Amino acid sequence: MDGNFSLEAASDAVLVVSYIGFKTQEVPVNGRSQINIALATDQELLEEVVVVGYGTQKKKLVTGATTQVTGEEIQKQSTTNALQALQGQAPGVQISSTSGQPGEGMRVLIRGVGTIANSSPLYVVDGVLTDNIDYLNPADIASIDVLKDAASAAIYGSQAANGVVLITTRQGKSGQPAKITFDTYYGLQNVARKVDLLNAREYGAIMNEAAVNSGKAPYFTNDEINALGTGSDWIDQMFVDNAVTQNYSLGAQGGSENSTFSASLSYTSQEGIVGGKALSNYERYNARLNTEHSFYNDIIKLGEHLTFAYIQSNGIGVGNQYNNSLRSAFNTSPFVPMYDEEGNFYDNSNSNWYTGEANPYAQMVYSNQNRRNNQRLLGDIYLLVEPIKNLTFRTSLGLNYAAGESRSYSPTYNLSAYAYNNVTSASQSLNKGKSLIWDNLLTYNFSLNENHGFEVMVGTSAYRNDGTSIYGSNTDLVLPGLDYAWLSNATNKDGGSISLTGAPYNDDRRMSYFGRLNYNYKETYLLNATFRADGSSRFAQGHRWGYFPSVSAGWIVSNEAFASSQSWLSYFKLRASWGQVGNQNIDFFQYLAPVNFANLNYIFGTKEGVLASGAYPSRLGNESLQWETSEQTDLGFDSRFLNGNLDVTFDWYQKTTKDWLIRAPILATAGAEAPFINGGDVKNTGIELAVSYSNNIGDFNYTVGVNGSYNKNEVGQIPTADGVVHGNPNQLFDNAAEFYRAANGQPIGYFWGLQTNGIFQSEEEVNSYTSGEGKLVQLNAAPGDLRYVDQNGDGLISTLDNVNIGNPNPDYTFGITLSANYKAFDFSLLASGVAGNQIVESYRNQANMYANYSSEILDRWHGPGSSTTIPRVTEDNRNWTRFSDLYIHDGDFLRINNLTVGYDLGKMFKKKFISQVRIYASVQNLYTLTKYEGMDPEIGYTDSFASGIDLGYYPRPRTVMIGANIKF
Amino acid sequence: MKKLKIFMLLGLVALGACKEDFLDTEPKTQVTESNFYKTPDDAYKALVGCYDGLQTVWANGVSFPVASAVLSDNAFGGSGASDGFGYQMLDEFDPSRSPSDQNLFGPNWSSYYAAVYRCNVLINKMDQIDWTGSEELRNTYESEARFLRAFLYFDMVRVWGHIPLLTEPTAENIPQADPDSVYQVIAQDLKFAADNLPAVPYTAQDPATYGRVTKWAAESLLGRVYLYYTGYYGKSDLVGEVDKTQALAYQEDVIANGGFGLVEDYANLWPASLSNYAGEDNKETVFAIKYTYTSDYNGNTDGNHWLVMLGLREQAIYPYGNGWGMATVTPDLWNAYSTDDTRQAATIISVADDNLPFTNQSKQREYTGYYNKKYIPLVDENGNTLVDGLGIGSFQISQFQDFVSLRFADVLLMAAELGSPNAQSYFDAVRQRAYKDSFTALPVTESNLMKERRLEFAFEALRYWDLLRQGVDVAASTIAVTTTVQNAGNPATKTISASNIQQSNGLQQIPVDQITLSNGTLQQNPGW
Repeated sequence: MDGNFSLEAASDAVLVVSYIGFKTQEVPVNGRSQINIALATDQELLEEVVVVGYGTQKKKLVTGATTQVTGEEIQKQSTTNALQALQGQAPGVQISSTSGQPGEGMRVLIRGVGTIANSSPLYVVDGVLTDNIDYLNPADIASIDVLKDAASAAIYGSQAANGVVLITTRQGKSGQPAKITFDTYYGLQNVARKVDLLNAREYGAIMNEAAVNSGKAPYFTNDEINALGTGSDWIDQMFVDNAVTQNYSLGAQGGSENSTFSASLSYTSQEGIVGGKALSNYERYNARLNTEHSFYNDIIKLGEHLTFAYIQSNGIGVGNQYNNSLRSAFNTSPFVPMYDEEGNFYDNSNSNWYTGEANPYAQMVYSNQNRRNNQRLLGDIYLLVEPIKNLTFRTSLGLNYAAGESRSYSPTYNLSAYAYNNVTSASQSLNKGKSLIWDNLLTYNFSLNENHGFEVMVGTSAYRNDGTSIYGSNTDLVLPGLDYAWLSNATNKDGGSISLTGAPYNDDRRMSYFGRLNYNYKETYLLNATFRADGSSRFAQGHRWGYFPSVSAGWIVSNEAFASSQSWLSYFKLRASWGQVGNQNIDFFQYLAPVNFANLNYIFGTKEGVLASGAYPSRLGNESLQWETSEQTDLGFDSRFLNGNLDVTFDWYQKTTKDWLIRAPILATAGAEAPFINGGDVKNTGIELAVSYSNNIGDFNYTVGVNGSYNKNEVGQIPTADGVVHGNPNQLFDNAAEFYRAANGQPIGYFWGLQTNGIFQSEEEVNSYTSGEGKLVQLNAAPGDLRYVDQNGDGLISTLDNVNIGNPNPDYTFGITLSANYKAFDFSLLASGVAGNQIVESYRNQANMYANYSSEILDRWHGPGSSTTIPRVTEDNRNWTRFSDLYIHDGDFLRINNLTVGYDLGKMFKKKFISQVRIYASVQNLYTLTKYEGMDPEIGYTDSFASGIDLGYYPRPRTVMIGANIKF
Repeated sequence: MKKLKIFMLLGLVALGACKEDFLDTEPKTQVTESNFYKTPDDAYKALVGCYDGLQTVWANGVSFPVASAVLSDNAFGGSGASDGFGYQMLDEFDPSRSPSDQNLFGPNWSSYYAAVYRCNVLINKMDQIDWTGSEELRNTYESEARFLRAFLYFDMVRVWGHIPLLTEPTAENIPQADPDSVYQVIAQDLKFAADNLPAVPYTAQDPATYGRVTKWAAESLLGRVYLYYTGYYGKSDLVGEVDKTQALAYQEDVIANGGFGLVEDYANLWPASLSNYAGEDNKETVFAIKYTYTSDYNGNTDGNHWLVMLGLREQAIYPYGNGWGMATVTPDLWNAYSTDDTRQAATIISVADDNLPFTNQSKQREYTGYYNKKYIPLVDENGNTLVDGLGIGSFQISQFQDFVSLRFADVLLMAAELGSPNAQSYFDAVRQRAYKDSFTALPVTESNLMKERRLEFAFEALRYWDLLRQGVDVAASTIAVTTTVQNAGNPATKTISASNIQQSNGLQQIPVDQITLSNGTLQQNPGW
């Protein structure tokens, strides 16, 4: 905008220049006759628009609790996954990695855990529903809007109980010259912190001590211990240095009078720090094209969004204790050598120490020979018709098509008495599916008397999802090696070793009707109401429909006469909302009792291997299964002070989710799997606050932002006989008992175990620990054993004494953003963290007396007064086999997610065809401030509804990278 | 015109609404309870499902044959030198030996009830099925399902004593039943089977149906149930359902009409006799749980998963295969046989007498120099497991040796014990087969019968229960011992105290997880 104007003023006058959307400037004339004035854009454009369900709304008129993070903010973090970049940027949204392995998903929790089932939010990309956005390259995203309260999410009805994340991909703009952008980064990743395990000498000494403490003779003499040396350092062997991550994105955007387009092409790759590129790797190719055309003077608009992603990956196991490749590195003793004399992986089957342990690196290599790729095509085509002014009809057809294949190979090997494979095998699997969504919306805006603004919308949505999958595996391959692992190369003909399955995805159908009314009076008093009716095929006939209303109101106080005169207050809006949303995301056909035909063979007659097949109803049915409903009340305000420099947003919420769809663990006497029932509820209450201040000192502009939230989670009435939803046993180590549960009055997934009270230092202490009746409470204890608290005073230590010893749900989550720029330099820092949660650390398989320990064990009790925190070691691991607060650690942390320094060369040479050549250097995961001694305190790994369990978590790497953003 | 346009648009929006049946879906790879159980074919499939249930009960946890051996005076706990002490806990009836083992029988409890559930569903669906054209199948299938249910409950009530009794499927939290009610159901089920299964002698049975429950199996099992119940609980008849005369009549029926006989040489009853093996389902097998090699780690449980427990500790010496060395045989049992008893060599592997180059004493706990020979994995001359190449070829789960639960020899001895007029000749027949030319007759007395049963049925899941049915005190004093064994190559004292056995009345630990789940409705057995 190159406006020239002239006016007359006194030489000591002060000109006040203002324009909507730009910051007002006061310019003293100071006797000048020519003054150049450049206005700066207002950081909070008053006409800024946010995305709400099925449409957009002016930000100032929004009455729900939503947070928007722009695409630039996301892209600045240079992450492979857009959700990882969102960490710490949206208050009330807790994001953690389920594993540090490239390509693994993120766990997203909006306003606390609301259910024991799936607590992921709904993702909507340009109006198409999907269950994850890992396929998107962050450069393709224009904005992410998180709908946090019921009023904003209710328009999505039955899928919105955990919140909604709306993603809008980049669009072109009319009348803008075409832009071409190229973004790239290249980084090297290394593990940030390793856990220290015992070396061979220390291990030998501890094994000796455990033997002596168990009444046996020590295994090694002192001379033998000294000769043991250091042995194998398995943690070291599992990690590689300088794993590469890189990204290249080329984008183009532009528009004419009648058409706009936005297109991009990108490539991202990330190697894993555990195992390296051969075992842990992720590569993604993306292509995107969004266009819109208008006809007949904008009466009809036709547009489409289309993104295609091709992802290739292979990975190591990152699941529970039996599917976690890194975990064996914690448990294998340093005595096992890495290689034998010929340079092959060492075969430990003839060890004279313990034949049951195997080289964990070799195990990782042999068990994770796989290749996976999948493709995603997501997009929609839409038609907008505006026959009368302000009456628009929009119809769109969306497609989410996903196909994948994977292939795995298992070689023959012999690593230990338990880890061996005698026959090569290969497996192939293919799957593809699509979901189609057809939305119709009719919107009408009108106003009465200029002061009353109305916007009415009614709509329908129909959704269906289907697909197929097929899997085959066979053994005895003609040629060994992953390259030759194809089913045609398998020579085995015995049906017992061939596995063949194929099935369609279960049909998923939904039908919805919804409506919304927005009313504002003088854009100062706001009212919004929505209603949605949803029918889902996952419930029995007669129980399919759910109804979800919501209402919210707002008052822009700063528009009132008494407030608008206050210069320090630019904007203040009070808002309140209430609504009900639902969750229908349970497994299919839960209301039926299915008859199972698989794996039910018996043998009659004289020929081995000739089977008769059987059947039985494997699960009990429940016809009256209903929705989960979540009811949420929210009160908050948005405000801007000090000329728009200080921005404060605050929310208080209370969210109650009830009628959980729970599969309460069933008694063995029932004989079949438990049905789903509705029952149990949880209340999440909390506060969110986001403050940001920005200002400038001359050419130095800076912004400081802090956001945080406090959440309290409490479970209500659970309808099972014991009022408890039990956690899964067999998670922490072989045959471990249940250690987490959901129970009335406690947070979800709380840790349930014995409380300890120090360690018995002497025989007298053991004998003086008596119950009320003078019974010895722990009569089998010896000095060095843990003293457990006898909570119920019955003189015995049993599961009746288990109490709440920890909470995996954090009390606080917070993020800090700092950014500054000076001329061509820019700097930014993003830190995020949590506080108030506990982590259970269980690296060691307590059922195995030969498993290695972390060096923390060097502080164990080995004589009176030697330790009050870590008990003595014994061969039966008796101090560890009962779950107690010995396992619990504080999980508070503050992590510097990203520190970036950049310089825009484009500001130096102003060429017409290049507007920005910014080069930058960043460090990701620069430092984590925490007391937790594990490799990474951000344990997003979950087992059912429990979280915060460290079984050998694949840590997030520290990445040092350089990159460039070039705009033509 | 404006209004028309609005209505047209509203109409278009309404089009977006599809018909209600758009939401109707059905599972494509699943049949459901309401459309199954219609034809006799469905019933047969459900029946095979019940048999499969039987195949799974010993796949995890501690199997009944291994547990019975360890609990008795025929075997110690055994296990590897570095294993947990769960088997010692069983052997010595002492929970403090392994305090973290709170669910040693957990998988078994669950599998037994899962199998009982399958039988209950089928039995209760009998009316729903349309039997026209094959009415006789109804009685046959129902008899087989009821026999299986009785078989399962008989194991459970012996092991745990106090168990919830379900005769129809329910998810309710049922308290433990009085053992009398359980035995009543067992007796009624077995009587139904005995009365309704066709009297087809073994000699006329179609080989393709070996493994199916027969009238003879039901009648023989009734004898065993009668003897155990009246012995252990000190009663005079089987809960009023079966008295001594009836029990004997059933055995005599099997002997006269069953078509069974004793295999010539005792050693040939067991696969360790290699080429002389009489084979599975031979003429002495009245009922066996049949296994095969098609087990895998994807949910197929068809194999004998507990056989590997009894192998030589991590060392294969032709023809005996490697395994985990549980249930090491007591020298007491070896010495109980006289040297001209062919059963001694057929039952027990003696490392010393057979000159076996066994070198893994250091890995074996409670090593005695004796292992059981009847149930053990086998290898070929090259030391490769015989299941190599069969199924997934795993020496742990691909084993397929059937468990012979009821042998004809037992029917003869039970008839003798029940006071048959031919008692002496039955007794002699069994002993003659054992001693061959060195046979000398013994009078058939209660105590001689019990001694003979020990020698005849070692490792067939009978000894411990024979002891218990003579009274808990008898069992306690017989099993209690203080002796020396080798732990990891070093001599160690082994003590089993009678008071532990008495305190528990011979019953086992009820899985603690189930007690917790029942919120206290289930109660743990005393002594645990």
